[in-house]
Amino acid sequence: MRDFESELARQVEALPEEVSPQRDLWRGIALGLETGKQAPARRTAHWSALVASAVAVAVVCFSLIWQNGDSPENKMASGNALVQVISQQHQAQVEALLIQFDGQAALSSNWKSQLTELENAATAIKRALEEDPDNTALLGMLQHVYQQQLLLIERVHAPKWQQI
Amino acid sequence: MTTHYATVVEATQAGVRQQDAAVIKAAQSGDRLAYHQLYQQHVKRVYALCLRLTGDHGLAEDATQEVFIQLWRKLDNFDERSRFTTWLHSVTANVTISYMRKQRNWFQRMFSLEGGMAESQEAQMCSSEVDLDSYIRRLPEKARLVFVLHAIEGYRHEEVADMLNMAVGTSKAQFHRAKQLLKEWMGFEDA
Repeated sequence: MRDFESELARQVEALPEEVSPQRDLWRGIALGLETGKQAPARRTAHWSALVASAVAVAVVCFSLIWQNGDSPENKMASGNALVQVISQQHQAQVEALLIQFDGQAALSSNWKSQLTELENAATAIKRALEEDPDNTALLGMLQHVYQQQLLLIERVHAPKWQQI
Repeated sequence: MTTHYATVVEATQAGVRQQDAAVIKAAQSGDRLAYHQLYQQHVKRVYALCLRLTGDHGLAEDATQEVFIQLWRKLDNFDERSRFTTWLHSVTANVTISYMRKQRNWFQRMFSLEGGMAESQEAQMCSSEVDLDSYIRRLPEKARLVFVLHAIEGYRHEEVADMLNMAVGTSKAQFHRAKQLLKEWMGFEDA
């Protein structure tokens, strides 16, 4: 008669220590390390804008899920549409901030090149999302990069010490 | 002859350990190439643990990325007196559990990941009849986490309970549940 405990112990012992992932994970990790190099996020962001953005994204998500079924094609379409909505929301926020600070001197001369660097990171993440729209880590990174852009614009135009 | 062979193996292992230590040291000092090398050396091991904990390939890949992003920031905490792989397993388990919590709280609701996981589990079950890994992936989440941490990773129930934020008794009960399910699926009848 077979003994379950010893058979289980044997099978646990025989489990492979290594398993290969099905896709290259380094690209996403490298992006994560890059965005992690940015200055720590300040808590003086435009909270109302961020909350409004999150609510809008959530509404779009729910409506997409409501309209579409669970097939891979629909999930892909929903994922791409979500990225598009997040990007459009972000663009609107950037434009609103730039209008708000129009004519106001910036404290740093190279803030536009920093903004472009962040934009390049966002473009790279969006490109990766086109291939893998359900990748939640990439979506999180995209939102993080966008948030960093908003904070950068705010920081160089209206630092906290000027608001006292 | 056997003694000579053992000496060669020991010397080789010592050399590998020294090389590993040098790579870890370089990565700790901010060398991105060394960190990439560290990633290449350990990604399969990290992914294997993430896959067993999450029970889903997509989630495991995302969790693996999260592990290596956080590991970069935690590398300074590594104490050379312990084995790197032991420390890495501990970091992997904690980051993955935390990642799964976040997924449940936010993205799982948004993208109905539960459904996707069930599908992939079904597919894996059909493709492999006696593979313990496929049975582990099929276990309910809590039972799976406890089984992997206790039976495979060797954590005590007190440690598992602490990691999963549950009572020690719950950890033991979930482990018993996992074993009962595995017993059934592996074709063992109750005594």
